[in-house]
Amino acid sequence: MEPTYDVLVVGAGCAGMRAAIEAHDRGASVGVISKLHPTRSHSGAAEGGINAALGNTAEDSPEMHAFDTVKGSDYLGDQDAIEILAAEAPGDIYQLEHWGAVFSRNGEGRLDQRPFGAAGSPRTVYAADITGHVLIQVLYEQLQRRMTQGMKVYEEFFAFRLLVEDGRCTGVISWDLMNGGVTLIRGKSVILATGGVGRLYRATTNAYACTGDGMSMALREGLPLKDIEFMQFHPTTMYPSGILITEGCRGEGGYLINKDGERFMQRYAPNALELASRDVVSRSETTEIEAGRGVNGSVYLDLRHLGPEKILTKLPGSRELAMTYAGVDPIYAPIPVRPGAHYHMGGVETDNQGLTGIEGLYAAGEVACVSVHGANRLGGNSLMETITFGRRSGHAAAEYALGAPAVGNGGEAARADAETWIKSLLGNTQGERPWSIRDELGQTMLDNFGVFRRPEKMEQQVEVIAGLRERYDRGVVIEDKGDVFNTDLTQVIELGYLLDIASCMLQAGIARKESRGAHSRPYDFPERDDANFLRHSISHWKGDGPELTYGEVRMTKWEPMERTY
Amino acid sequence: MQVGLKIWRYDSKTGDRALREYEIDAPEEATLLDCLDIVKDKHDGSLAFRKSCRMMICGSCGMRMDGGAVLACKVRMYDIAQEGRVPVIAAMGNLPIVKDLVVDMDPFWEKMRAVDPYLKPRYDQAQERENVIPAPQMSVIHKESLCINCGCCVSECNSMEVDPDFLGPAALAKGMRFVGDPRDGATIERLEKYSEPHGLWDCTRCYFCSERCPKGVDPRDAIAKLGAEAMKNGIDRDMGAKHARWFVTSAKTTGWLRETELVPKTQGIVSSIREMKFAMGLAVKGKVPPPFPPHVAAEVHESRALFDLVKSQDRNGAAGIVQGEKALGRIESHHDASRGRDPYTEADSAPRPYLPSEREETEGVTP
Repeated sequence: MEPTYDVLVVGAGCAGMRAAIEAHDRGASVGVISKLHPTRSHSGAAEGGINAALGNTAEDSPEMHAFDTVKGSDYLGDQDAIEILAAEAPGDIYQLEHWGAVFSRNGEGRLDQRPFGAAGSPRTVYAADITGHVLIQVLYEQLQRRMTQGMKVYEEFFAFRLLVEDGRCTGVISWDLMNGGVTLIRGKSVILATGGVGRLYRATTNAYACTGDGMSMALREGLPLKDIEFMQFHPTTMYPSGILITEGCRGEGGYLINKDGERFMQRYAPNALELASRDVVSRSETTEIEAGRGVNGSVYLDLRHLGPEKILTKLPGSRELAMTYAGVDPIYAPIPVRPGAHYHMGGVETDNQGLTGIEGLYAAGEVACVSVHGANRLGGNSLMETITFGRRSGHAAAEYALGAPAVGNGGEAARADAETWIKSLLGNTQGERPWSIRDELGQTMLDNFGVFRRPEKMEQQVEVIAGLRERYDRGVVIEDKGDVFNTDLTQVIELGYLLDIASCMLQAGIARKESRGAHSRPYDFPERDDANFLRHSISHWKGDGPELTYGEVRMTKWEPMERTY
Repeated sequence: MQVGLKIWRYDSKTGDRALREYEIDAPEEATLLDCLDIVKDKHDGSLAFRKSCRMMICGSCGMRMDGGAVLACKVRMYDIAQEGRVPVIAAMGNLPIVKDLVVDMDPFWEKMRAVDPYLKPRYDQAQERENVIPAPQMSVIHKESLCINCGCCVSECNSMEVDPDFLGPAALAKGMRFVGDPRDGATIERLEKYSEPHGLWDCTRCYFCSERCPKGVDPRDAIAKLGAEAMKNGIDRDMGAKHARWFVTSAKTTGWLRETELVPKTQGIVSSIREMKFAMGLAVKGKVPPPFPPHVAAEVHESRALFDLVKSQDRNGAAGIVQGEKALGRIESHHDASRGRDPYTEADSAPRPYLPSEREETEGVTP
């Protein structure tokens, strides 16, 4: 019999680990599968901070946090979910601090909070500019503690298929990277926490691992992806690597300037300036660059006036990144930055407990769309979402599993079927290498479905994706035929995930004939259209491709207003 | 640019090792990790290495370049390629190789687990809000909390090469991260545990860990802090602690090291008697000064004044370890404020920032 747990968590970033901890503490037996060792997860690359209305720096309230988030989402966020996030965030932050998170402190010894984009109060709790790293470490510390109490972590197991029996998810099929072989691990409930899909774009802040695995697995089991056209472009990613420079740089007072030194943000967001919402700043930068006021396809992030001491104490990691990857010491020279793909607001549709449309299957973090981010996420809200909704889904999954009947016996057939598929992939000797399809996809997505979306380019991209899909289906060659640490195999599977998500994004993007949040169509539909599109896009996979419907936005107390910063 | 790489390939099934050379075309900004990607994509898809964030934070891509551990994503290849060097890339040391550049990290994590790597809270009842801790108290563990678990320090650890059971630099730095945390309530228990055989006193102080750490964690410094904390708390059974304590006593009383007394003070009388033959041999060659009467340095009061000064500073335990910290900090940040450069007036400086509204006021024009 396969190993069986009450709760099986797929992915071990902030959301997955927080969910695993909660499920364990609620009395469930917990297994965790991750294609990376947990501390390698991309949550660890988050830099700037995590939002909770503690009011340690200035007056604040969950109500203000919720409103900023609703407005930031361009009113597409589900307001009940946003209110939950804002209300429960402070308690979750205190919990992390009690576990030992090494946050930065203010003069009173309380958790310091810095200003962030589109936030009405300095609300962002942080640890210098390595907040994600600190969270990943503290969560893994707590995981290791629970590993002495029976929790099991399957590190470097590449999950590639969900086991759904009689409409209930009861396990995950994975490839054991270290030893090879297709393994079935069972869970009375399963939590997807596999993160985003930034690798769809050539210019991205995301790690190589961010390939939309969970989104595609869920999609292929018939689950809908919600608001999948909304990819956030972060305004300050370094040229040319796409590596993230935190919004904290602007929170600490950094300027954005064009080639003449002009702080151009004043012309686009006269009040918030550099701390406008991310979609607004990314569009402003792109406009500057397209008007010829950029340098090498970039603008500058200028920290020189902050002085060495502030840079060295509050932003040391950003300085190291700039020196290593752009050859620039921000104490003396500005950093070349441009918008880069950063975060997927859309994802697997869940309710406020993280439950998806399949019994026993939950999702949390970037893979999920609850939705708290709507059309545009505020900086600092994604880490908070991973913790709060990771905890909530861990709780719900444990509660369900502890009352659920045993899993069925139909797993072996599914595992054998998956094994046959892997063998066929490995056996293929005709065709091209995966990198050519991957690179072309990344470049064309950036060109045709980036910050500004032109109708003819989007149509063109549909053709491009179809062509790439055809080449992929014809067969790509895996040169590594071995069992041990075969990442040549896993990257081919990941490429399939990317193509699935790209198709859904384009269909939903073309159909959304308005400009809202990160979805901007300045050439044909420059305005927000609440009458027709204050709705979630819902993408299903039917046969060979996606099928689009719409769902209602859950509103509580905020009516849509014009959005200016 | 053209980049040459020699890569140690390893097949765990057959145990075959081979040094293969690759010549690739890479963009000028490429890192070692980018170059390995190009090898895998376009030259040999069977090459195995770990990667993820490619921005020095996930800790996946620790490996050896020309005999020393590096994070592949942190190494820019431009200068190396310009010099025409062809670096040799291999898996990290002190950990079993699985395939090519991939090592088995289990021994690394087992040692991490051996230090109880999680907070054991000082308080019984959880507080309603956060613990209030002055920022300087948290800065004691600033460097230790930067660790990304890449294994570069362990790869280069000389002690671990001799004694695979040595806890090692990464685990001990993690230990210091909790010993130094004012919220942790298990300080004594931890120091007892870390002072056991294969623990903190087995470090040979070669400083390779601190030199090779890509994040400035400075594990040797953490180990020194653990030793100081252990002695402050009277946990000094280990020979290493006794050795250190005798150095202090000797220097304080006579102004220099009384080597003949060092052995019995460190190892104990019984063990020292066993060393008598060796000591006699040394004495015959004139290597041992006569123990009696003890030689007292002429200016011993200066030595004692130094002790008084240190005592008056009240920097006991980890707080007293400041050796090299500033220098290492500067290496890590490459910053020297005394250079006095003006970031706005040099020939290639970017323009000085201005707000469009300011320009309108001063020049009376609208853009």
